[in-house]
Amino acid sequence: MKYKVQRVLATIFSYTWLTASVLIALAPVSWMISAAFSDARRLQDVPVIPNFAEFSLNNYREVFTYRSSSGAALPDFVDSFLTTLFIATLSTILVVIFSSLVGFAVTRFRFRAKKPALLLMLGLQMFPSFMGMIAIFIIFRVFGWLNNPFYLTLIYVAGAIPFNTFIVRGFMRNVPRSLDEAAMIDGATNLQVMIKIIVPLAAPIMGFIAVNAFMGPWLDYILPSIVMPNNETVAMWLFRMQEPTPAPFEPMLFMAGALFLAIPIMIVQIYMQKYITYGLTAGAEKG
Amino acid sequence: MNETPLIGRLLNALKRFGMGIVNKFKSFFVVFAMIFVGIGRAIRNFFQKIVRAAKENPKSFKKGLSSFFLMGLGQLRNKQWYKGVPLLSVLVIVLLVEFITGDYIYAPGELQNHPPEDTLYFFRDYGGLFTRGVWGFLSLGALTIGMEYRGNMIVNEDFAYDWLQADNSRTLMGEGIIIFVIVAVIIGLWIFSIRDAYKTDLKIRAGMGVERAKDWLRRVWDDYFAYIIILPALFLITLFILIPFVFSFMVGFTNYDSAITLRADLIQWHGLTTFRDVFGADPAFRDFFLVVLGWTTIYAILSSITVYVLGLIQALIIESRYVKAKKVWRLILILPWAIPGMISLLVFSNVFGTDGLANRLLSDWGMVESVRTFFEMVGLLEPGGSGSIQWFTNPNNPNMARFIILIVNLWMGYPYFMLLITGVLSTIPQSLYEAADIDGGSASQKFRYITLPFVIRATAPVIITTFTFNFNNFGAIYFLTGGGPRYRTAEIPQSLRGIEPGQTDILISWIYSMAFESGDHDTYNLAAVYSILVFIIVAGFSIYYLSRLKSFWEED
Repeated sequence: MKYKVQRVLATIFSYTWLTASVLIALAPVSWMISAAFSDARRLQDVPVIPNFAEFSLNNYREVFTYRSSSGAALPDFVDSFLTTLFIATLSTILVVIFSSLVGFAVTRFRFRAKKPALLLMLGLQMFPSFMGMIAIFIIFRVFGWLNNPFYLTLIYVAGAIPFNTFIVRGFMRNVPRSLDEAAMIDGATNLQVMIKIIVPLAAPIMGFIAVNAFMGPWLDYILPSIVMPNNETVAMWLFRMQEPTPAPFEPMLFMAGALFLAIPIMIVQIYMQKYITYGLTAGAEKG
Repeated sequence: MNETPLIGRLLNALKRFGMGIVNKFKSFFVVFAMIFVGIGRAIRNFFQKIVRAAKENPKSFKKGLSSFFLMGLGQLRNKQWYKGVPLLSVLVIVLLVEFITGDYIYAPGELQNHPPEDTLYFFRDYGGLFTRGVWGFLSLGALTIGMEYRGNMIVNEDFAYDWLQADNSRTLMGEGIIIFVIVAVIIGLWIFSIRDAYKTDLKIRAGMGVERAKDWLRRVWDDYFAYIIILPALFLITLFILIPFVFSFMVGFTNYDSAITLRADLIQWHGLTTFRDVFGADPAFRDFFLVVLGWTTIYAILSSITVYVLGLIQALIIESRYVKAKKVWRLILILPWAIPGMISLLVFSNVFGTDGLANRLLSDWGMVESVRTFFEMVGLLEPGGSGSIQWFTNPNNPNMARFIILIVNLWMGYPYFMLLITGVLSTIPQSLYEAADIDGGSASQKFRYITLPFVIRATAPVIITTFTFNFNNFGAIYFLTGGGPRYRTAEIPQSLRGIEPGQTDILISWIYSMAFESGDHDTYNLAAVYSILVFIIVAGFSIYYLSRLKSFWEED
């Protein structure tokens, strides 16, 4: 009898607790949706729960047509979206290629001072990256790379290599060496071993790295704002919309744009949760 | 600045924790010392080898010597054109670049008319890419706008006569570092050329014959495959991580602060002066640094602990036998983790604005007064106020803003740990619990002696990385409060006016606003010194930790 009461109480407590958690988790999200599809001009007038009787696409009409200068070929948001899409796609391709090359080299060959070098690489990344940005800015100006998304992408790639090397290393060293040796006996070269044996076996981790590399640039703000002052990315667009100064101050458009970007990213993140235990071995953490 | 007793006790605990770390770090410093000894030994061995080579094989040594005087000559004498020609052409290209980018041809004519007692910067006016780069790095420029030089006035920009243009110390420094890296690569090639000429000659004298081009290429491709495939990555890392790192490190040793207007003033090397300011020469710097460091550490620790604990609680509740539809609950609860951090932070900075969502909901529900009383009781608001609550802007009590930062961080961060710990829970062997049941263990005992140790051991590395991540969690502060509430002007010492931290600034966000958002007060040298300190703390911590992980040192 006592046991049964305990059981009922525990059940009630669990569900109350979880319901409260869900409400707290959803409230800001619901407010975002409400703001994105509302007609209100001020954020203060937006209710937390979307009022679908007053459903309006005005914000989105504005987001997809607003041009800061009438001469612009594309609306600001579309332009910044395409720029960021280019950066993310290129970064994905390069990061996968470079990470698999470095990961393969690190797991299958002996180097002088390999481990201190790996540690050094990770350590260097702990330096506040924007302090290096004065230098990056100078490099970009000297070589004439400012406002060019290609070179911005190279920075992301350089930044992604050390960490991904660790992840790939953790994965590739579980691929038995006897596979390489068998292939070598059959006359395969190093390159063939890598492309035909190791990389296909490491495909799941490559998928993980690719998605991360694709997601990384979307909402990075400081770096593009310094090396691409006249070529906006979506993060710069978002930040510009919600800052009171300088104009335009458009928090409603910020909400609409933020929701538009957040939804695909959320879907990918949720899909990616099965990879989360890689964090245990590699120390991954959402940034 | 007036800490409550609770925070005082926390600081004490921190101090003890810090001493513990210092003791552990002794081994870290030993590693550093070993690195220096190792470098010293390597240099000594290098020269000993050269001396030995000269004594034992004087003839082969001469081949090496010819490569020393003319890169690639030794290879040509060894009849290895495929090595000699590329090496020689590298040398030729370097010299050509130096000559073409320089103005050496004008030098003799112009120097004839130059009165010898006048100042003259030869490499500045006539040097090419390399010599000018080295000169620029060492001197950081010599001439500023309005100075008279060789009978002319120095101006801001002169496209026809670039030697009349004022020196931009910052650019000179950046270019200088790039040049040093290129020179280092060339020196590497040079050393390779000398060694290779010597070794090949040894082989020839031993009767092994000269390797043909095709064989050599195949051998290099096979033996050095690993080095070749990391070259492109190495190039990118050098350009975008290493060079910027060295640059900002160097800025810490200059006087580059708000008093410097580029081209009108010169940046100068001034050694450790800024470091001395930070460590006590100017008490204002030291005191504010310690305050910000204290809050950064507390923030990093509390934010890591809270997300971990809540994540654990949620995982346990969802995984308990009382809850059905586990997957659905989990799916909804991970939404905050899935939203991009920047967006959540910007949305929350709107929610907790003075006329934001939080205040409006409280007034709609008629709860402003009771919430206010509650916060007054716990000491996050001072008594006597009225009206809407200043979450982020109350200059009298920054703890409210700090509290909200931790709450928002908790909202964003705990789902990650919930997922992680759920994964770990499923790996705990059921037999452990069955054994506990047989021994009559209670639920709380099972949790304490089986679940908790298992989970903590499995997630320990992630706790460490979360801590270092939060220590440098720039966005959590910058996008949420922007560092505010600000200090009152009267509280700020004169030497810090304009670059003072906000009351919720952590080190990294303070550094950023100091260097980039202080308008006329932008101060780079101090920001660089603080960056170096942050770097030493965080990198030291994580390298030390990583190097202790068994899995890291396992052979591949």
